[in-house]
Amino acid sequence: MSTVKDILMQKGQQVWYVTPETTLRDALKLMAAKNIGAVIVLDGHDVVGIISERDYARKVITSESLSLDEPVRTVMTSSVYYVTPEHTVEECMNLMTTKHFRHLPVIVGQDVIGLISIGDVVKQILSEKDREIESLEDYIWVNMI
Amino acid sequence: MSYVKNILERKGKSVWTIAPDATVRAALIEMADKGAGALVVIEGDQIVGIFSERDYVRRVAKTDDLGLDQPVRELMSHPVFFARPDQTVEECMRVMTARHFRHLPVLVEDELVGIISIGDVVKSLINEKEMTIRGLENFIAGSSVNH
Repeated sequence: MSTVKDILMQKGQQVWYVTPETTLRDALKLMAAKNIGAVIVLDGHDVVGIISERDYARKVITSESLSLDEPVRTVMTSSVYYVTPEHTVEECMNLMTTKHFRHLPVIVGQDVIGLISIGDVVKQILSEKDREIESLEDYIWVNMI
Repeated sequence: MSYVKNILERKGKSVWTIAPDATVRAALIEMADKGAGALVVIEGDQIVGIFSERDYVRRVAKTDDLGLDQPVRELMSHPVFFARPDQTVEECMRVMTARHFRHLPVLVEDELVGIISIGDVVKSLINEKEMTIRGLENFIAGSSVNH
């Protein structure tokens, strides 16, 4: 069974983050520059939120006075679910689909060591199933034909 | 093998659309209302683009301007890649991952009959693979009994 650790080994442990006081402008520019859909919001070592493209796109229409100079904390989602490297990819998938999150921070002790996306999780699940199919087919070739 | 039409049968054929001259504000409100991440942009009965949350957010990052009064036409992505109902889900997955699309409109002749998202595609692929696994396991179990 694949775990979060397997995903992190493939994608690396680079974590992009902003602080609650970072401006929306800088957060959006960071997402564009890194081609990512969300970044973690860190206050010191603590994860205090996540800000995603969607958070911004939804907020900008309900508060027309929203300025790009405003801090990330006004728009971020602050109830954050997170996982550890030992969680299985299936557990992550369940969490993401039931809670409608596209991203989960990965925590060890007090520290964030990564952020995984629904795309990462899905890729891992699909390749796990492909391997399972291959090994069943191998078994049939070797033992039954 | 699963096909695009199987996905449409399950999720229905509703497609959220917007006109190219609508404002970005109107488009974002429509997306929020429908819980959609993208809208198909239609002029007359022609598809002229797709407009997504990402198109908007990337533009704001680049121009430093909220741009809510701009027409969708200015920000939408085009040309648009399509799927046909008789295409396999795997083909769609390949196009979507290679080109980083989250959505593909589905056309019959020139008529828009639905839209599939990367989430739909993935769900269908996972199901398909699980069915294959169960089939192989049953085959092995069945044959062992016969031996």
